[in-house]
Amino acid sequence: MEYIIEMIDIYKEFPGVIANNNITLRLKKGEVHALLGENGAGKSTLMSILFGLYHADRGTIKVRGKEVNIQNPNVAYDLGIGMVHQHFQLVHNFTVTENIILGSEGKQILDRKTASKKIKDLSVRYGLNINPNDKIEDISVGMQQRVEILKMLYRDAEVLIFDEPTAVLTPQEIIELMNIIRNLIEEGKSVILITHKLKEIKLIADRCTIIRRGKYIGTVDVGKTTTGEMAKMMVGREVLFNVDKDEAKPGEVILEINDLNVLNSRKTLGLKNFSLSVKCGEVMGVAGVEGNGQTELVEAITGLRKTESGTIHISGNEISRLSIRKRYETGLSYIPEDRHKHGLILDYTVGENMIMKLYYQEPYSKRGILNPTAIEEHSNKVMELFDVRAGEGNMSLASNLSGGNQQKAIVGREIDMNPDLLIAFQPTRGLDVGAIEYIHKRIIEQRDAGKAVLLVSLELDEILDLSDRVAVVAGGELIDVVNIEDTNENELGLMMTGVRREDMHE
Amino acid sequence: MKRVVVFLLAIMFIANFAFAGGDQEESSSASLKVGMVTDAGTIDDKSFNQGTWEGILEAEKDMDISTKYLKPVGTTEADYMKEIGNLYDAGFRFMVTPGFKFETTIFQVQDKYPDCKFVLIDGAPHNADWSVFNTADNTVSIFFAEHESGFLAGVASALQIKEGEMGFIGGMEIPPVQKFNWGFQQGVAYANDKYGTTVVLNAENIIYQGTFSDVAAGQQLAAQMYDKGVSVIFAAAGGVGVGAINEAKTRMAAGEDAWIVGVDLDQYADGIYEGEKSVILTSAMKHIELAGYDTLIAESKGEFPGGKTLYLEVGVPEVNPNLGEAALAAMEEVKTKIEAGDIEISDVVGDLFP
Amino acid sequence: MNKKNSVLVRSLLATGLGLVAGAIMMLFIGANPFEGYFYLVKGAFMSVERTFNVVGTGTALVLTGLSVAFAFKTGLFNIGAAGQMLIGGLCASTVGLLVPLPRIALLPTMFIAAALGGGLWGAVPGVLKAKFNVHEVVATIMMNWIAYWIAFYYIPTFIKAEFMTTESALLPAKASLKIPWLTELTNGSYINLGIIIAIAMVILIKFILDKTTLGYELKAVGYNRDAAQYAGIKVNKNIILSMVIAGALAGLAGFVYYCGYSQNMQIGKLPSLGFDGIAVALLGASSPWGVLAAAMFFGLLHSAKGFMNAITGIPPQISDTIIAIIIYFTATSLFIERLIKKVIARRKEKAKDAKGGED
Repeated sequence: MEYIIEMIDIYKEFPGVIANNNITLRLKKGEVHALLGENGAGKSTLMSILFGLYHADRGTIKVRGKEVNIQNPNVAYDLGIGMVHQHFQLVHNFTVTENIILGSEGKQILDRKTASKKIKDLSVRYGLNINPNDKIEDISVGMQQRVEILKMLYRDAEVLIFDEPTAVLTPQEIIELMNIIRNLIEEGKSVILITHKLKEIKLIADRCTIIRRGKYIGTVDVGKTTTGEMAKMMVGREVLFNVDKDEAKPGEVILEINDLNVLNSRKTLGLKNFSLSVKCGEVMGVAGVEGNGQTELVEAITGLRKTESGTIHISGNEISRLSIRKRYETGLSYIPEDRHKHGLILDYTVGENMIMKLYYQEPYSKRGILNPTAIEEHSNKVMELFDVRAGEGNMSLASNLSGGNQQKAIVGREIDMNPDLLIAFQPTRGLDVGAIEYIHKRIIEQRDAGKAVLLVSLELDEILDLSDRVAVVAGGELIDVVNIEDTNENELGLMMTGVRREDMHE
Repeated sequence: MKRVVVFLLAIMFIANFAFAGGDQEESSSASLKVGMVTDAGTIDDKSFNQGTWEGILEAEKDMDISTKYLKPVGTTEADYMKEIGNLYDAGFRFMVTPGFKFETTIFQVQDKYPDCKFVLIDGAPHNADWSVFNTADNTVSIFFAEHESGFLAGVASALQIKEGEMGFIGGMEIPPVQKFNWGFQQGVAYANDKYGTTVVLNAENIIYQGTFSDVAAGQQLAAQMYDKGVSVIFAAAGGVGVGAINEAKTRMAAGEDAWIVGVDLDQYADGIYEGEKSVILTSAMKHIELAGYDTLIAESKGEFPGGKTLYLEVGVPEVNPNLGEAALAAMEEVKTKIEAGDIEISDVVGDLFP
Repeated sequence: MNKKNSVLVRSLLATGLGLVAGAIMMLFIGANPFEGYFYLVKGAFMSVERTFNVVGTGTALVLTGLSVAFAFKTGLFNIGAAGQMLIGGLCASTVGLLVPLPRIALLPTMFIAAALGGGLWGAVPGVLKAKFNVHEVVATIMMNWIAYWIAFYYIPTFIKAEFMTTESALLPAKASLKIPWLTELTNGSYINLGIIIAIAMVILIKFILDKTTLGYELKAVGYNRDAAQYAGIKVNKNIILSMVIAGALAGLAGFVYYCGYSQNMQIGKLPSLGFDGIAVALLGASSPWGVLAAAMFFGLLHSAKGFMNAITGIPPQISDTIIAIIIYFTATSLFIERLIKKVIARRKEKAKDAKGGED
């Protein structure tokens, strides 16, 4: 058996954590090898070791059968290893060519024309459809990812590592990426795919190595293994995939948005003449590619962003001129998109975070003096109800919690306020399967308790799993609102690119 | 918490005992330690601090003493007290303090450190509200007749330029500086009266800058006066005067008539702008260096004039390259008359410009 | 190792490194560092008067340090403690010199005047920051100079001493924070009522930060402005409030300094204590008790450096340099923390090796 890369018994310890505990990964030439694990399982560490960003404490790495010492990324490049990072490393006002040759100037004379031609050729050969002279700022996210791929190919990478490549893509773009990966394999490249999405593994990978909490669990043949089995290996227990939910019983309108116009941070209209109503007892999903008005919509409702015109009513009260706190008091809860930026004060304890919106009320404080006992009782209650696990209980610093527990703490805090309207913005971003499952259950419970839920997510699967109706946004406009039974992934994907339903069926 | 306090107290007391021991022998075996605390400005201010310090260094050559000066962080009483305390605790038993701002400080320390001698220049020890004046037996206060050297400089400058305008830049509006000013005015008037010169001193050209340290402000004030047609400025202003001298140098180098009358020391060398040429017409000197020197010599003979107030010598430099023969001759004449008591120079404002 | 301990270790280590660096500098100028430090400590504690001078010298530093630390808790960098202190001192001195009240009423009035004056001086950068997003570092520095020139005009015009245009008149005994019997008892040390004010403020600020909704809000804004806004906390109001309180604390520093330590004010000088407050806050890790300890330590250095200089000829600037170096080491705490961790890790490894590979 010919292995192009062998990582054997890799051990890496960070202060306090063993990130990789004797992990072995063998990549055959010409295969797509998935690396599966929950967040924090040690996938990124392992790949960073292969790419020369970290050094293993113990273990051996062999490339084409020869033991190597990868001191830094340049050594990795020379060995034919390239990595497509989750966050692209591109200079936005440079052209594709300029970005690709950036950093490799030293080795050859900077000849843009030749470089441009080589890029064009590579693009055609692998079906990337890239124009070398476009500026990065003018091309889509999916295209930018292809530039990253080209960068590696340009440097003659034989092995390409993809770090969570589909997180930023639309469903259509994901399909195209899968085709590109197939082309790469056909041309004799080998691919390592870091992911926690089982569906993609099933679709493209040949074999899959699974790690859990830094430990090597096993390597399986994807064709002979079910997603259920792989999920079980990843999480360590049985996983339910479909959210059980009864039929929605929508009632009266809770959230009513009319002709809302909101500026984005570039001071142009990020949300245009937007109208939407959400009823109690339903989950309204908002689907769209990142940056198409979702942030503006949510922040306009919650008061973090000023509106230009239009009205927002919650349970009949116009709130678009109220302070943020007043809005919460009318029965609004909000699970923010970024739990580190908005959701939590990481330097506060869990207990202090639990009273973030309540601290000024009795019993949590009286005449300006905090009541530690009431705060402790409250946070213990929420932590227990929502299964938030922390080393030192409510006294743990929020920063010491795992991502899943942080998110559960936020979800718990927001749901515990018993809101009429719950806004959940990417409530499961970056979480592992177990936590996602749990949070989904809680959101459906809200719906079933007769509350309104506005779910904004970039994960189409999440929208499809949870929503009763879906509002699709593109370019800051509402494209359509559809019932979940009347639509499918394909149609939503198309609408997310701005195509209206009536235009689809011509 | 309590334990911490007890612990700290214990350490404090142990330290007190430990340190207290070695003290006496140190001071008895060594020669006299002479200290100085500087006034506002630096030790090389070309004027007050420097003069005082040079006097002490001069004395060090002639007798067995060791010397040191400390520069306080500020010029408040608290700052002075602190440095005097530092010197005292380090075994210094003879201190020279230049400037009337030490008056209230010396008033206190002369009682607090009765075994230490103090020389206060330009001031008499008194309490905060001026109700009690007391120069104790371990203190001598030293004054100068600044109005006399101001008068001489006024006569000489008026005779040198014969006509035109003159000005005065003072540092702080304090008695020694005021006395320079008033003497200078009387000198100019005397020259106009007795020697037929027509020199004008306008009230608007008599300015106290307010500090002894703001060089930039001095330069600016001088520039304004020269622009208004003033050709001689008497700068009794420490660092502010340095600014005025700088301005004069630039103008003289450009061919303008811009003279300075120096103060405290012979400032001729400081005013050189080209070869041997200086902007300093003459200097109204007070021999500050004598304060430290004379009292130290007296101390070494066991004749420290404690409790007394001394008046020390003032004058003009012996060599004045920028003065013509007429001016020099008139100055000599006036000097003799002052010594003989034929000229009365007032040291109060009277009808002069304040 | 918990967070509190690691902060303490960090500060102590920074101090130690600063002293070592000071010793190297003493060697460099040809002095004996053991002698230098001996006389530095001796200068601090050789007599009752000097021991209390350490406290007296550190008193105002407690308050400026507290001012900087408090603003820092709200994520603001108050470089303006010097100006706030100056204005606080001006207000207190004016009341002390011109308002005819008995001591029992005069001192509280001076206290309030100083706090109000300093608070106003802090409020301006606060408002500029909140409403116009002017960076507080720029605004507070500007306010320092405005205070400087106001004092330059105000002191000679309204409260000048006789014959002196550069200083304010000496305060009458009834307006001084000095307690005659205590001053007497300590042979004329600088200790005064200010230390009571300083300790009271340490306790008050500790209480506000830890036990009140106000402290909760202020810290929330400091730790994470976005999250605070998300929680419905009025960020702008808190920024202004934080600067007002920080300004008031610095104003009180002016009160205890100009009416306690010294008895009058001088023009043409921004009090360096305002800037030392930054150092105190850093070394004290912005915690009120830490600030108190750091201020006393700096008080020691400041009060003893003149003695060291007088007896050994080691320039007092060495003390100032030690302070500066300690700040560098505190500011590069990350480096130090990493150093600590490395030492601990190495020790662990050694222990493991000694046990002989259990796993």
